[in-house]
Amino acid sequence: MSGFFATLKRIGSERDGRLGLAFTFAILVFALIRPLVSPDPNAIDIKARFAAPGLAHLLGTDNLGRDLAARTSVGTRYALTLAVMIVVISSIIGSLIGIVAGIAGGWVDRAVTAVFDIVNAFPPLILAFALIALYGKGSATFVLLVTVVFIPQFGRMARARAQTLRNLSFIEAERMLAVHPVTIVVRHYLPNVAGPIIVLASMNLPVVIAFEASLSFLGFGVQPPKSSLGTLIKDGFVSINQSWWPTVAAALVLAIATLGATLLGEALRRIIDPKSTGAR
Amino acid sequence: MAISLRNLSVDYSLQQGTAHALRGVSLEIQEGEMLGLVGESGSGKSTVALALMGLLANNAQVTSGTATIEGKNFDLTKRNATAALRGRGMAMIFQDPMLSLNPVFTIGAQLCEVLRRRAPGSDRKTRVEMAQDALAKVKLSNPARRMNQYPHELSGGMRQRVVIAMALLSEPALLIADEPTTALDVTVEAQIMREIIGLRDRIGCAVLLITHSLGLVTEYCDAISVLYAGEKLESGTVEEVQRQPGHPYTRMLFDCEVPIDRQRHADASENRFTVIAGELPDPRLRPPGCIFNSRCDVSFEDCTTINPSDYPVRNDAGHSARCLRLRTP
Amino acid sequence: MTDAISISNAQLRFGETVALDGVSLSIRRGTCFGIVGESGSGKTTLMRAILGLQRLDHGEIRILCNPLVHSRAALKQRAGFIQPIFQDPAASLSPRSRIRTLMNEVGTVLREPHAATRERLGVILNRLGLPPGVIDKYPHEISGGQARRVAIARALLMKPSILIADEPTAGLDVSVQGDLLNLLQDIRRSDNITLVVISHNLAIVRLIAENAVVMRAGKVVEGGEIGSLFGSPQEVYTRDLLAAWPSIRAANTKR
Repeated sequence: MSGFFATLKRIGSERDGRLGLAFTFAILVFALIRPLVSPDPNAIDIKARFAAPGLAHLLGTDNLGRDLAARTSVGTRYALTLAVMIVVISSIIGSLIGIVAGIAGGWVDRAVTAVFDIVNAFPPLILAFALIALYGKGSATFVLLVTVVFIPQFGRMARARAQTLRNLSFIEAERMLAVHPVTIVVRHYLPNVAGPIIVLASMNLPVVIAFEASLSFLGFGVQPPKSSLGTLIKDGFVSINQSWWPTVAAALVLAIATLGATLLGEALRRIIDPKSTGAR
Repeated sequence: MAISLRNLSVDYSLQQGTAHALRGVSLEIQEGEMLGLVGESGSGKSTVALALMGLLANNAQVTSGTATIEGKNFDLTKRNATAALRGRGMAMIFQDPMLSLNPVFTIGAQLCEVLRRRAPGSDRKTRVEMAQDALAKVKLSNPARRMNQYPHELSGGMRQRVVIAMALLSEPALLIADEPTTALDVTVEAQIMREIIGLRDRIGCAVLLITHSLGLVTEYCDAISVLYAGEKLESGTVEEVQRQPGHPYTRMLFDCEVPIDRQRHADASENRFTVIAGELPDPRLRPPGCIFNSRCDVSFEDCTTINPSDYPVRNDAGHSARCLRLRTP
Repeated sequence: MTDAISISNAQLRFGETVALDGVSLSIRRGTCFGIVGESGSGKTTLMRAILGLQRLDHGEIRILCNPLVHSRAALKQRAGFIQPIFQDPAASLSPRSRIRTLMNEVGTVLREPHAATRERLGVILNRLGLPPGVIDKYPHEISGGQARRVAIARALLMKPSILIADEPTAGLDVSVQGDLLNLLQDIRRSDNITLVVISHNLAIVRLIAENAVVMRAGKVVEGGEIGSLFGSPQEVYTRDLLAAWPSIRAANTKR
C-alpha cells in the first residue's frame, strides 16, 4: 500500500499530475456523493420541466422535469463503472493472451496476432454496431463488445514484452530450474508485464469513457431508463432548442473525466515507464 | 608540445547527494607518447575524457581544472571551454564507434566532412582522395568501396578503423581513446591498437588511452597513470611502474592481472586468483587519510589521518605515487 | 570414468549463418572444462544447446549418458543434474520476486518441504559468505557481488553435478573477478562438480580448466589438455589468439 501512496505523491509532484488528480478526484466525488444527497434521478416532475439551475435543482431539469444533477451523477457513476470494468477485464485477458502468444511463438503466436489484426481492422464503432446487430442491445453485450475491441491493444503490448522477457536470463534461469510454466507466467512474466499494461490501461480509461458515451449517444450503449453521460448528452441534444443546460452539463463532466484520466495516465506513464517519450 | 591537465575535479549532483567523481587529477602527456589511464569501474576514468571534451552530462560540474593543449590554456570549469578544439585539436575514439558515426551518411561523406572543416580551401576531388587514402592507411580492406558504404554495413572492428581514419584526417594534438577495444575480440583488438599506434606515429599526437586493462597498457603505452575512486594514485613510465609499483594499489592491481603464460598447477588448490578485498569508498563522503586505506595491505596509523601528497618513487623524477610509505623522514 | 557431457557432430544453422558446424567433444566427470573463442565462434550457442534452450539441427548431446530430450519430464530430470550460471548472474534473478520466493521455488520443484530447503540454503549461504538476511530482499536491493552469489546459491540448491558458467568474469573488474573464480573452483572441488567455463578470457581458462577447446565459426579448432593446448598450440588460429591476448607477461614481473 505504501507503493500506492508513494506513486500518488510522485504524481502530485508535477503540475499535470496534480491537475489530473484534482479532476479525477472531483469526478469521483461527484459520482459517489451526489446520489446520497440529491433527489431521485428518475422522479418525474412535469411542472418543473426545463428548469434552469437553481437551489432546488443544481443543474436544472430535463424535458420530463427530472433532476439533472442527480441524473448526471448517476450517469457518471455508471459510465465510470463500465469503463473501469471494461479496462480491467480487457487488460487482464489481453495480457494473458499476449503473454501466452509471446512465449509460445510459432502458429499460436501467428493465430493470435491474426485475430488481433482482424479485430483492429474494423473501425471500433463499426465493429460495435456489428456485434450489437448480432447480440442485441444491453449492458452485458455492451461490456463484452467494448472489452473485445480493447483486448488487442493490451494483447500486443503484453506479447511484445513477453517476447523480450523470454530471452532474458532470469526467465531462462527459471526454465532451467524446471519451475512449472504456470508459476513462471504468473510470478515472473505478469509482474514484469504489469507496468506498461497499467500505464496503457490508465491511458485507455478516457478512451473507453468517450467510446461508451459515443455509443450511448447513438443509442447503442446504455439503455433507458438507465442514464450514462452519452444518453444524457443525447437527451439534452434532442431538446437543445428549449434548454442547453442538460447537454452542456453532461458534456462538461465527460470532458473533465476524460481530461483528468488522460493527465493521470500520462503522469503514471512518466513514473512507471520514464524511458519512453510517448505522445505528449 | 606536451599536453597537460591540472587539478581536475568533477562533481555529479545525484538525488542522494553530491558525488565527487574526480578530485584534483593531474596528467601530463608528452607529444608522440601514449599515456594509459588505468582504473576500475567507479574510478572516474571516463569522466576525465568527457571533461576534456566538454561532453559531461548536465548534472556534472567541473569544480576546478585547467588544460594546456597546443600551448593554449583552457579553463575547464567554463562550459564548452574546449569547444574550439573539438575535431581539430582533439579527437576522441569511443568504445562504441557508432557514437562517432552518423548512421544516415556514407563513410566517405563523413570523412570528407572532417576534411572540409580541417582544410576549407581544398576541392571535392582532393578530399575524396585524401579520405580514401586515410582508409587505406588504417588498413581497411577495399577503401574505394567502403567510401560508399554506410556504418551499419561494417563490422565493429571496421567501424573503429573508420573512426581512427577520421581522427587521422583531423590531425589532432591530442587523441583520447576511451576503452576503444573493449567491445572487440582479442585479435581485432590487437589490430586496432596497432592502428592507433600507427596514427600517433604518423601525426605525432599525444594519446590518452583510457582502459581497465593493465595488459593493454603494459603492451602498448609509454606512460601510465593509475586512478582509484576519483584520485590519481600513481604515475610514471610503464616500465618503471611495472617494475616497482610505488603504490600498494598499483601493486595489487598488477597481482590481480592473470598473465597469459601463467601455468596451471596440477593441484587445483594452487590455482588461486588474487583479489583486492573490500569495496570502493562512498563517492559522496571521502574518508580522511589515504583514499585506499581501507583496502590496503600495508597501511599504518598515519594512513587514516594524513592524505598523502605525491612522492617521487626511487628518486625518479617521472615516477611518483601518493603513498605515505614513500615519505622521506 | 564416465562423461558428464558428450556431444557428437552438433550442427545448427540460423538461416544463412552456420552457428555450429559439426562440434564433437566430451567432458569428463568432475573436471573443469574450458570453451574459448571469439564472438560468433558458437560457444554460447553450444552452451544453450547443452542446456536444452536451443534445439540442434543434427547431432546428439548426452548428459551423464542420457540423450538430451526436449520434453518437460526430461527437463525436470535434467534440472537436477545441470545448472547454468549466466553471463550476468544478477540478471538471472527475477526482479520482482523476493529472494526467499526464488529459493522456495527450487524446493517446490524438488518436492521438498520448505523447512528442509531453508536448512540446506542456510548452509549454502553461509558457505558463499552471504548474510542470512539476503533472502528477505529483492534482487535490486543487494549489491552486484551478492546477487552473483545468490544466483550461484540458487543453482547449488538444485544439487547439480554439472555447472556451466557463461563468461563468468565479463564486466567484472580484475580486483573482484578472482573472488568469483576462486569460489567456483572451491565449489567444484568440494562438491565434485563438473565445471564448464565458457570464456573469451584465455588467461583465466588456462588457469582454471584442465581441458579446453578453442572454437571458431562454429567449429572446434583445437582441443586437449590445457598445458599442451596453450603451451604448444598446433593450430595457427590458437597461436594467433594467444599472441593477441594483451597481458602482462609472467616472466616480466619480478614477484
